[in-house]
Amino acid sequence: MSTPTLTRTSTRLTHRLLPPRPPYRCLSCSRLLAQQQQHQHQQQPPKQDAQNPTTHFGFQTVPSSSKQSRVASVFTSVASSYDTMNDLMSLGTHRLWKDHFVRSIDPGIRDCAEGNGSGQTILDIAGGTGDIAFRVLEHCTLVKNDHASKIIVSDINPDMLAEGKRRAREGGYGQSGRLSWLEANAEDLRAMPDNSVDLYTVAFGIRNFTSKPRALREAFRVLKPGGVFACLEFSKLNSRLLEAVYKRWSFGAIPLIGQLVAGDRESYQYLVESIERFPGQEEWMGMIEEAGFLVPGVEEGKGWEDLMGGIACVHKGVKPL
Amino acid sequence: MGPTRPLHAVFLRHPAPLRSNLVWQCSRSYHSYEHEAPPPFTPTEDAILSAALAHVPTHGFTNTALTQGARDAGYLDVSTNLFPAGAFSIVKYHLVTQRLALARHASSLQSQSDITTKIRKLALHRLHANEPIVHHWQEALALLSTARHLPTSLRELALLSDELLFLAGSTTVTSAWYTNRAALAAIYASAELFMTQDKSKGFTETEKFLKRRLEEGEKIRGGLDMVGKWVGMQAGGLVDGLRSKGVWI
Repeated sequence: MSTPTLTRTSTRLTHRLLPPRPPYRCLSCSRLLAQQQQHQHQQQPPKQDAQNPTTHFGFQTVPSSSKQSRVASVFTSVASSYDTMNDLMSLGTHRLWKDHFVRSIDPGIRDCAEGNGSGQTILDIAGGTGDIAFRVLEHCTLVKNDHASKIIVSDINPDMLAEGKRRAREGGYGQSGRLSWLEANAEDLRAMPDNSVDLYTVAFGIRNFTSKPRALREAFRVLKPGGVFACLEFSKLNSRLLEAVYKRWSFGAIPLIGQLVAGDRESYQYLVESIERFPGQEEWMGMIEEAGFLVPGVEEGKGWEDLMGGIACVHKGVKPL
Repeated sequence: MGPTRPLHAVFLRHPAPLRSNLVWQCSRSYHSYEHEAPPPFTPTEDAILSAALAHVPTHGFTNTALTQGARDAGYLDVSTNLFPAGAFSIVKYHLVTQRLALARHASSLQSQSDITTKIRKLALHRLHANEPIVHHWQEALALLSTARHLPTSLRELALLSDELLFLAGSTTVTSAWYTNRAALAAIYASAELFMTQDKSKGFTETEKFLKRRLEEGEKIRGGLDMVGKWVGMQAGGLVDGLRSKGVWI
């Protein structure tokens, strides 16, 4: 009820405060993007057909074959300022979400001694900077007293992995022998055998995948029966009012912060657009179920956990026996 | 509980010849004697939780019991992510399965005995189902009374009270429907709490406690009935008196 009123009021206010400008265009439409779109218009937008499948890259439609390289270039350019930018964009809450994510999964096997083969094998997909991996190791060691579980950090992007390795050295995780690094595409994990992983985590990564169903199928393949697929990702807000505020923030402030701090507007523009394009909670849960996973909490009518009203969301799936 | 999509929408999406089958798959809000209700837990949940319940006498209602249960059922430690509520899932599993088990016991009750006796026997049967884990039941009560789980706990208690009265053959449709269920829920909950402290052999003290509370309930109901009648009589008398004085009522 109150959203239209708010939008109207704020538009009126903006009109009064700002000099008249060309017809409303959200802040997202950066110059380069607009040029690109014009360019695309001139040379016919790529059409979906059997030979040239397309996918979306933010709000643009691009050939599936080029999404991977485009995403790669985004993350190459954000790798060095990743932490600062995450803190600024999420006002520090991304740390809370990641902490909660790891705590709710509760990885590790209680009182598992070093060198004991029965520790867990954890695969952290799109975890190049090690944000989740270090937290998982810490949880295993400090909470579960588990010194045997191993974690494989996989990322498609060598720059993100380099950032993670640097942090592992600085944080003292490098010598533990429990961390290993894998440069791989999550849609084609041929380096990992079938039924070999206890826990598959992916935090703020899956929305960048070219084909989500293919990534889910790979996750299902590499997980042991009973293994858990856990995903932390941006999602849709439950309240229209909050959504209006959030949209202002993400489309208005985030590319601007990217420009000012990291000197790269386009990459952050892509980030917020990809968040917008990612399926909502229910649709995403349906995709996880479709891949064959048992989704916890479906009977209670809610197979996911919203964080901060749905800005981020935790989805889990258990591979049946 | 129910499907997330509106029921009629699900119904209409299916071709007409299949719809009659669909009716029986939907969760029903009425009781059917002819058709089994859908099981409350999926086979996987059932396997893990029943195995976890077997570990409760040693580990209590804890995540350790849940993990052990998952291992016994052939799952991994990490599979306990299937239960976001953690140890509370074991408590709920116990409550739901024992409530549903009451129906099987009810058929063995003598049909001649009156409703109060039947209620007492059924409630006692349900209390005895807590016997193997009664030394850990306080942990369960603690979990049940946490703010996060309170709505589920109260709902489960209401369902149990409803089940007891239904199986005992209570068919009231007056306001007593509510008072009976509320009173029985209160009596059952207090008896359950009493049982955690009961050291007598075979829980005879709990049995006596339950009997006393139910008798008191009867007395109060009888008393309230009489008070109600008395108030009704007096009000009637007052109206008649006023009418005789010429007041137009």
